Amino acid sequence: MQDRAHASPTTPAAAPVSVHFVNNVLAAAASYIEVEPDTARDILARLGAFLSHRLRPSRVITLAQELDHVADYVRLEQARFPGRLEAELPQPERVPSTECVPGEVQAPLAETLERWLGQRRGRVRLALRARMDGATLEAQFDEPDDPASTAERIRISLSSPATTAGGVS
Amino acid sequence: MSNGLAILAVDDEPRALADIKHLLETSASVDRVATATSAKEALVYLSGGRYDALFLDVHMPEIEGMALARLLRRFADPPAVVFVTGHPDAAVEAFEIQALDFLVKPVGRERLEAALDRVEAQSRPNSAPMTTPDAVAPGAPAGTGGGPDVVAVDNPKGGGKRLVRLETISIAQANGDYARIVCDDGRFLLRTPLSQLEKEWSPAGFARVHRAYLVNLTQAVELRAQLNGTAVLVMRDGTEVPVARRNVAALRRRLHA
Repeated sequence: MQDRAHASPTTPAAAPVSVHFVNNVLAAAASYIEVEPDTARDILARLGAFLSHRLRPSRVITLAQELDHVADYVRLEQARFPGRLEAELPQPERVPSTECVPGEVQAPLAETLERWLGQRRGRVRLALRARMDGATLEAQFDEPDDPASTAERIRISLSSPATTAGGVS
Repeated sequence: MSNGLAILAVDDEPRALADIKHLLETSASVDRVATATSAKEALVYLSGGRYDALFLDVHMPEIEGMALARLLRRFADPPAVVFVTGHPDAAVEAFEIQALDFLVKPVGRERLEAALDRVEAQSRPNSAPMTTPDAVAPGAPAGTGGGPDVVAVDNPKGGGKRLVRLETISIAQANGDYARIVCDDGRFLLRTPLSQLEKEWSPAGFARVHRAYLVNLTQAVELRAQLNGTAVLVMRDGTEVPVARRNVAALRRRLHA
């Protein structure tokens, strides 16, 4: 993928990385080392990509790059909670050519997903969709095995990267 | 009587739980590991048996680890609490509720063993000290000093008993109320606690080098020091046996005598 990232003096900082998430992913990787070494390696490689995306100097990236980052994040959560997370993500090559800052989509998604995985015992389904205006994404969380459960929707409004970071509405 | 520690590990993350369970199960200090994926499940385990310590995640659904730890303080004889968490910031609160230790995931072997040492020290403060190798008759042949020449072990093939010459045994490892015997003919179980074997076999050159290990020093070929003050005793067949920190100096003197 072509790297279209660029930065300016006013580029907002990337969303902070959760230490809890990183430590638990590392613990999950450790648990696979002896039983599934290839899985352990994959987790570490994805965590490396995840951290590189977030810890590099402040810059502007494409929405497609952020969605690749979200895909890495989802895979890491699936490693932490095997069999409990289904995810439907937009194809990065089919989203509008919008810009954002690293973690702008992943961080609010993670905040809600951690709560869903932590408070429920069954499978959780995440469906993320990008609106065609390119400035908004919608995520829906539900429990596919519990038709009576109430779904939760969040809207993620992308910032104008040169000014402020976005948030959850 | 059991020689090793009984540990209950509690974490709602299955892979993190699998990791700490593996570490605990492969520690020579631990005899029994149970796992629970919630505080409620942990309470069920605690109502059905005694544990020396809980290795407890901080953040869990419904009842959090901190709340469970506070609840345990109301028990007449509460197990020690060791927090295992991905939240380093929770350490202050953990120590406020008198947790014995605080481990950050992923947990390294050396750090885990240090926590288990603390559990052992707290849960068995009045236990008899292990026999140091200095107390062992140097190079005593089997059958001298009242020790047995042979021992009857459970025969895994066809039941019954099998007689094993004491001199062919290299290691006895604590395994609950049993001892796992490693000898020239294979591995067998003996329905005798390690502490009793220690008394009976000392005249034959066996020494307790660790709470969970009794070794035949006539089959030891190398004592390898470790950075953390412990050591590894290498046996003739290449098996490596952990040596507790407090036994290292005496064992070194004994082997060089």
